[in-house]
Amino acid sequence: MDEIIARSNIYGLLSRILLQELDEQTLQTFKTDETVLEFLPHWHEWEQRLSVPNQQLLEEYLNPDFVNLSILHLVPYETFYTRADQMIETGGANPVTDMYSAYDFIVDYEIARVVSADHIGIELEFMHHLCEAQKKAMEEKDVEAVQELLAIQHQFLNTHLLKWAPMYLINMKYEARTPLYYDAAEMALEFLLSDNEMLSSRIAA
Amino acid sequence: MMYLESRRTFLKGAALTVTGAAIAKGVFSTDAVAESVEKSKFTNTPDSLSFYPPLDQWEGFQELDGTDWKRGGIDRHGVQSEENPDGILVRDYMLVPTACSNCEASCGLTAWVDKKTFTVKKYMGNPLHPGSRGRNCAKGYATQSQMYDPDRIPFPLKRAPGSKRGEGKWIRTTWDEAMSTIGKKMADTIRKGDELSRKSVMYHVGRPNENGFVPQVWETLGLDSYNSHTNICSSNGRTPTIWTANDDRTSPDWANAKLIFLNSSHAADAGHYFQQSAGFIADARKKGAKMVVMDPRMSNSAGMADLWIAAWPGTEAVVYLYLANRILNENMVDKKFVKKWFNWETLMNDSEHLNFMLEKGQITKLPAGRDFESYLELLKDMYSPYTLEYAVKETHIPAYKLEQLYDMFIWAGDAISTYIWRATAAGNRGGWMSGRAAYFAIGLRGAIGTEGGTFFHHWHVISVSGKGGSATVGQGIGGADVPKVQAWNELTWPPEWPLSTYELSYLLPHLLSDKEWQKKWNDRGLNVPSKLAVYIPRMYNPVWINPDGFRWLEVLKNEEIMELTMNLSPVWSETNWYMDYVLPVGLAGERHDQHSEATMPARWTSFRQPVLRVALEKSGWKPNNPVRGTLEAHIKAGLGEVWEENEFFFDLCVNYIDPDGSLGIKKMWESKRHPGKPVTIAEWYDAAFGDNLPKLKETATNDPRYANDEFPVYSYLRDHGVWLEEDKIYHAMERELKIEGGEVSVHGHKFEAATMSVGAGGVISATDHSGKTTAIGVEIDGKKMEGFATLTKKLEFFTQWAVDWKWREYAMPFYPRNDKEKAEMEHIVSHVNHMYMKEENSFALNTVFRLPYNIHTRSANSKHLMEISQNHDPIWINTVDAKRLGFKRGDAIRVKIVDTVSGLESGHFVAMAVPTEGVLPGTLACSHHGGRWKLTNAVTIPNGVSDGKVATGVAPRDLTDKEFLKESPANAGRDGAQTIIDNYEGTTGLNSFGVPVAEVQMDGKVGKLKYVEGIKPFHTERFADYNRDSGNIWWDGLSGSWQNAVAAPHPDPVSGMHCWHHKVLLEPAQAGDKIGDIFVNYDNNLKVYQAWRDQLSRGLDENSTLRRPRHIKRPWVRLDPSVYEVSIKA
Repeated sequence: MDEIIARSNIYGLLSRILLQELDEQTLQTFKTDETVLEFLPHWHEWEQRLSVPNQQLLEEYLNPDFVNLSILHLVPYETFYTRADQMIETGGANPVTDMYSAYDFIVDYEIARVVSADHIGIELEFMHHLCEAQKKAMEEKDVEAVQELLAIQHQFLNTHLLKWAPMYLINMKYEARTPLYYDAAEMALEFLLSDNEMLSSRIAA
Repeated sequence: MMYLESRRTFLKGAALTVTGAAIAKGVFSTDAVAESVEKSKFTNTPDSLSFYPPLDQWEGFQELDGTDWKRGGIDRHGVQSEENPDGILVRDYMLVPTACSNCEASCGLTAWVDKKTFTVKKYMGNPLHPGSRGRNCAKGYATQSQMYDPDRIPFPLKRAPGSKRGEGKWIRTTWDEAMSTIGKKMADTIRKGDELSRKSVMYHVGRPNENGFVPQVWETLGLDSYNSHTNICSSNGRTPTIWTANDDRTSPDWANAKLIFLNSSHAADAGHYFQQSAGFIADARKKGAKMVVMDPRMSNSAGMADLWIAAWPGTEAVVYLYLANRILNENMVDKKFVKKWFNWETLMNDSEHLNFMLEKGQITKLPAGRDFESYLELLKDMYSPYTLEYAVKETHIPAYKLEQLYDMFIWAGDAISTYIWRATAAGNRGGWMSGRAAYFAIGLRGAIGTEGGTFFHHWHVISVSGKGGSATVGQGIGGADVPKVQAWNELTWPPEWPLSTYELSYLLPHLLSDKEWQKKWNDRGLNVPSKLAVYIPRMYNPVWINPDGFRWLEVLKNEEIMELTMNLSPVWSETNWYMDYVLPVGLAGERHDQHSEATMPARWTSFRQPVLRVALEKSGWKPNNPVRGTLEAHIKAGLGEVWEENEFFFDLCVNYIDPDGSLGIKKMWESKRHPGKPVTIAEWYDAAFGDNLPKLKETATNDPRYANDEFPVYSYLRDHGVWLEEDKIYHAMERELKIEGGEVSVHGHKFEAATMSVGAGGVISATDHSGKTTAIGVEIDGKKMEGFATLTKKLEFFTQWAVDWKWREYAMPFYPRNDKEKAEMEHIVSHVNHMYMKEENSFALNTVFRLPYNIHTRSANSKHLMEISQNHDPIWINTVDAKRLGFKRGDAIRVKIVDTVSGLESGHFVAMAVPTEGVLPGTLACSHHGGRWKLTNAVTIPNGVSDGKVATGVAPRDLTDKEFLKESPANAGRDGAQTIIDNYEGTTGLNSFGVPVAEVQMDGKVGKLKYVEGIKPFHTERFADYNRDSGNIWWDGLSGSWQNAVAAPHPDPVSGMHCWHHKVLLEPAQAGDKIGDIFVNYDNNLKVYQAWRDQLSRGLDENSTLRRPRHIKRPWVRLDPSVYEVSIKA
């Protein structure tokens, strides 16, 4: 059970940090939660993490870096990487929406503030929801549903996230100018790959 | 980190102080939105982009509102329902087919009628249409903006009593009042019964966009007064076809061609059959076809062609004759075809003409024999002077391009498709000869009637609109019982141009003003009208589009020459401002027309319909007055008192011109089913289609959907909007004559088989039941075939009958080979040939290319067409010329028009220079489709609101509401029944999206126009939802000049075509000049017309016995054979 809780939490954590700028409350979590800090070693050791006030940290360090990494210089959308013309599919023809729709999920753009449903933060949050569903199935001891959800997670990773997110994350690592986003990229990359190994072996078994 | 190592680290994630769910943003929702999507049939992505609702769903097709896409697909907000009120609205549509009317191509459209609001939400293509295949150009989709045009004319308008024409004072009137006044005036004129009265009521149409209905009206009225715009459009393109094949126009098979050879940019971007041709051309190019565009201007087509050749305007014939020379002398002739289908025997047996050719130096020696090989030797001799060197010198085309062209021409074999319309033909004196030479070169290669080749119009068209006679009391089947017209109208067919292809319509005001001309012919025994009792332009804007517009204004304002005038027009125009009545008839989705065009080697027809009326009728509504169904439907729909022509003429003829039947006109339009009443739309078209299209009749009457239908054929067309009677029509001249039951049928006419005889040249003659003998076919190698429509039934590259009409020297394809011949044969030398360009600042101005978004003057108020057409009408000047004269981009220049026949100046217009490599040095280009004007921004019609306040209905406009379907306006169009016009307060704009305001001055000799105010953003309440963007206007519309008004009429001596090009002198603008200004000496323009007439034409004289050859087309009404006969006093 720990494993599914851990996975769900990490997908939730990564989706949040890659989707939007941090708010003060979330920043606080990132500054203080020991487990989080263990995942983000350079951020952990960064002096300004504690010496600079939160507001200033956000406005002068973290948010400019985030804007650079997800809006100005890099494009965290699947279709940008998968389409030959490098255009973001913002309409209903985005392939990822079929997958969401199939499980009755609809992206609320008022909250997400992204141009399309294939943003890395959205896709990671979708994985988080699948994990939550799996957790619920485990609690209810619905073995069949658990197997099915594992398969869906594996399928989603392989048809979407893994097709492109590693490229984005590697780029993000190179472009990052703050230890927080550098570590987040590294963590997301490692986590996605290792999670896929785990899911592959589970499904094979 | 190794993955497995990190895995252990990640497991610590369970120890986070807050859960993932709390950290995650929570961007997903799974509420009613998702459920609504799941429950609906809608998906974000159609299965294919070419998806179209299947026909069986046209009566009820649900689709998400257009805001769906703007809001990012249904996944964002779901489908609207009670549980999900913020979701996207689902529209319930009825799809009603119709046909576009914004150019002549008649592409299929479907109107998407929203049932809940009874409005057309959009016009889309009709996938059933074989020519347009579901596609449309920008003009097609503009139909919606025209339907909900805030300035469309809302009700019949009448010039205010006591005001003068052009003063701009209008009152609201009723259809009844207008029809009573006009009907009485027409009846009074017709009742006189003399020859003059039969020429004194004139109907004048731009593009008819229908195949024979209105001509049939004029035939039943017994009047020779149908006038068309053809001679400002395409006569020089038709003349070569008549001379060669006695057909009307070229009909290419673009889709299967290997070489697409456009003489002008016409087919692919600027006009004729534009969208359909473009699609077929694209298909062919995908298969590897080459495209060549011959045009002095680099059009869009030229820009994407494999080869662009810019010939000096009017020298194009030389290009074809150069090809002919090489084909002949390099032995590349398709001898089998030439021997079979050229009328070579006629030439070889005409010693007189052979001697003439020798005498004139057209050949160097007489042929050795009269056999086919001798004919080929003669041709080799005759065309050998058209060398590469000569062609380069005369056309200004570089040698390498001509050589490339020849290689492509040969490579394409017999799959060469061409078009010879507009540019060359419309621009130049003698432009018809280029078409003639084109057919010759193509014919030598056997590319006529082949798959991928070039063929002729009449095999590819359906003309049945006027043939619903069996539905009437008096017309008989197909109109057989309608008496032939007993008059010849000299105003449309003047004696100077006996071979003119169509009417000399653009000379109407000149002929009506030219008292000397009238006297001359009256003295010589003709009976020439000096005035018109009634003049009826239809949706036509003669003032603006014809040359010498100020002359039109003079005549239209003169109540002694034009006694009563009315325009059947949905929108305001320059002409309407000077009318007595403007009666609003509908646009593409608001009228009935049978309309077919030769856009492919097949015979299809579209059926244009008033879509809102059809939607009402299909929902169960019935009009109160069966002959005013369209008027009632449009009132119900809130469009205003907008009617259509078919019903207007049914009603006018029966109830207003001849109510008591004493003129014999009433019965012609009286319903056979309901005697005493006018025929109805369903009755007429069921007969017109059913009597004349056997395959359609068989299909419709055997279709179980129409098993109990009173009018199955009409209903079939109503539901499909299009019909393909015959496909893949090739080599039709080789069809064998069919003999059945002792009769032989040719083109719908029957002859007694026993009377068939074979005469000289194998021509087969036969006699019909009335005793008339006609050439019906040709026997070649023992096979009896239909042949072409010529006298010899073959392609006449020797047009022997031209000799009888004084044009012997042009009986064969020819172009003068030296300066001496040019001087002698000026009739076929362009009036803008380089030999006339003697001054440093003289140029040949190419005017005739179209701005492809703006074909008809009636689309001037379509916002989206205006938006894409602004600042597109500068004067193109080659960079070398611009540098030489010191003109820079954006400079205003005076373009002074000079006539090369009389030497007279016509005046000037001021245009903006755009130096470009895209135009041949020495020539300029400026489309004459720019420069619209109006005199005021808005007009108030005082009783437009106060007169009559009848509501259009009580029930909300909703096709699913039974109460709405029960209602219909009472007494529509009658006095006292004037309806309230939605959101209209008595003042209307005049083409507010597209036409700027100008000041016009004229004194009988000199005219001036100056723009005073550009187009501005505005707000409108009328059709406010459709026009909510009217505040977003960024253009001022001041980029074109009304150059047509400066242009003097240039009647081609043979075809009668107005030759549009001009010799111009360029000068820098002077102080006070603004782009768009014009100055016209229209007194000189009258003299120019007279000079062309007197110095160039070869008209009737005391030796004439006929007004025109009987065998060539005299369009519109059938004339009694006796009126062809003429006797001219010396």
